[in-house]
Amino acid sequence: MEKHILETMNSVAEMTGSELVAELNEDTVLLESGLDSLGFAILVARLEEELGYDPFTLMEQPVYPRVLGDLFKIYKQFASPEK
Amino acid sequence: MMTLDTLLSQFGAEHKCLKTACELVTVRELRERSARLRKNLIQAQGSCVVLCVQSPLTLIEALVALDGFSRAIFLLPYGLDSDIEQRLIEAAQCDYRLEDKGNLTPLRAQLTSTELNRLPTQWLMATSGTTGVPKIVAHTFDSLTRTMKRDTSCGSSYTWGLMYDPSRFAGLQVVLQSLIGGSCLAVPSSLVFEVQVTALLKQQVNALSATPSLWRKLLMDGRVFDLTMTQITLGGESVDQSLLDGLRHKFPAARITHIYASTEAGAAFAVNDCLAGFPAKWLNSAAAPVPLRINDYGHLLIKPAVLAQGVEIQSRLDASGYLDTQDMVRQLDDRVFFLGRASGAINVGGNKVHPEEVENLIREIPEVLDVCVFGKSNSLMGQLVAAELVIADGTDPKVLRPKIYGHCRAKLEAWQCPAFVTVVDQLQETVAGKRERIN
Repeated sequence: MEKHILETMNSVAEMTGSELVAELNEDTVLLESGLDSLGFAILVARLEEELGYDPFTLMEQPVYPRVLGDLFKIYKQFASPEK
Repeated sequence: MMTLDTLLSQFGAEHKCLKTACELVTVRELRERSARLRKNLIQAQGSCVVLCVQSPLTLIEALVALDGFSRAIFLLPYGLDSDIEQRLIEAAQCDYRLEDKGNLTPLRAQLTSTELNRLPTQWLMATSGTTGVPKIVAHTFDSLTRTMKRDTSCGSSYTWGLMYDPSRFAGLQVVLQSLIGGSCLAVPSSLVFEVQVTALLKQQVNALSATPSLWRKLLMDGRVFDLTMTQITLGGESVDQSLLDGLRHKFPAARITHIYASTEAGAAFAVNDCLAGFPAKWLNSAAAPVPLRINDYGHLLIKPAVLAQGVEIQSRLDASGYLDTQDMVRQLDDRVFFLGRASGAINVGGNKVHPEEVENLIREIPEVLDVCVFGKSNSLMGQLVAAELVIADGTDPKVLRPKIYGHCRAKLEAWQCPAFVTVVDQLQETVAGKRERIN
């Protein structure tokens, strides 16, 4: 999952002409990763196409991921069948 | 009172006004057939008749028969959902339904007695409604034809093709202009694209009116290049420069006109200089074909000489009688360009994106044959911009995609750039021949 998200982030960055920070890790603050809010929205839409779900439409209470680790967690949480 | 039939009577009886795959129809024959039809419809005199016909030829005969004879004619567009059809027929208060073989069916139990029609017949039409339910607007033969060219010395050299449903405003304009101008109209047996193109070629059409979407489809199809066109007319959607350039290149001898018209306001103005948009000097100027203004929201306002009737239209008029067209425009130097429908804008996180503006930019890339831009719903931004493309044979989508992204990024704001680019075999049009935007 982490690898998939990172690959998609790279592809979105390439498409939008943004540059990602050199070292992306779990503590990277999303809005400082190189993707802006539009890029992030595109990332979520791309992942929905590839994974078949958008966790942000599935969650009952809105959760806003701050760091990359939060994002991984959200995607993993909703990937499980009992979500 | 001028009616379609009295207008036809002014032409020589042997003037050939219609052509089909198997016959040439003279004015005399058309009027005779219509007179016969009228005799069969005697009980519908003074009433409202809905035309549910699929054959364009039968429709024309019915119009000649009923104008001046019935109180109202409702031209039911082809291909509507049956629920919507039913609602429109009720809203138009139709008394009878006329079908292809001349069958007349009463629609109400209690019909008023037939009376001689003393007022001009109302021509009821449905707006094209790219979104939502179509609305009914009322015209008369006079309001429909007031701006039409009556110069038969020029008109007689034209053979018009028919790419539109003649029950819709744009198609009816072609039919009436062809009849009034003394031209010949090549009538296809149906409204299927293949049948229409075959008719254009077989009848050697030299004048043709279609939406920009349909023109692009014709250019991609390529068979029309064998025709020698003298008049090319575009309308119904905004026209981009690439298409105008493409048409001029393929048909160098043709006069190319793009018409700004709507079912509500009729044909408002025509532009013939092969440039997209219209001259900015027409704004707030007496020299304009019709009074034109831009309001604070960037909507084009027009004050047409005749306006269709209807409650919905009244609510769109301002104090000085200008109609809000709901078309978004932008002035750039000495030209005013169309951006798209006010209601058709894609909303990306509160920023409005006009699909036509993005489409026009993408069309500048030579490998792109056609494109449709639409909004795709998104949980974080409301909507994102998506594009479907038809590309030239032999183009590698993997090479083209970055080129499109780069081209858009150079000219547009980030939120206007397509986030999704999909290559498809063909794009869909609505029944009115306009690009369908699946939101």
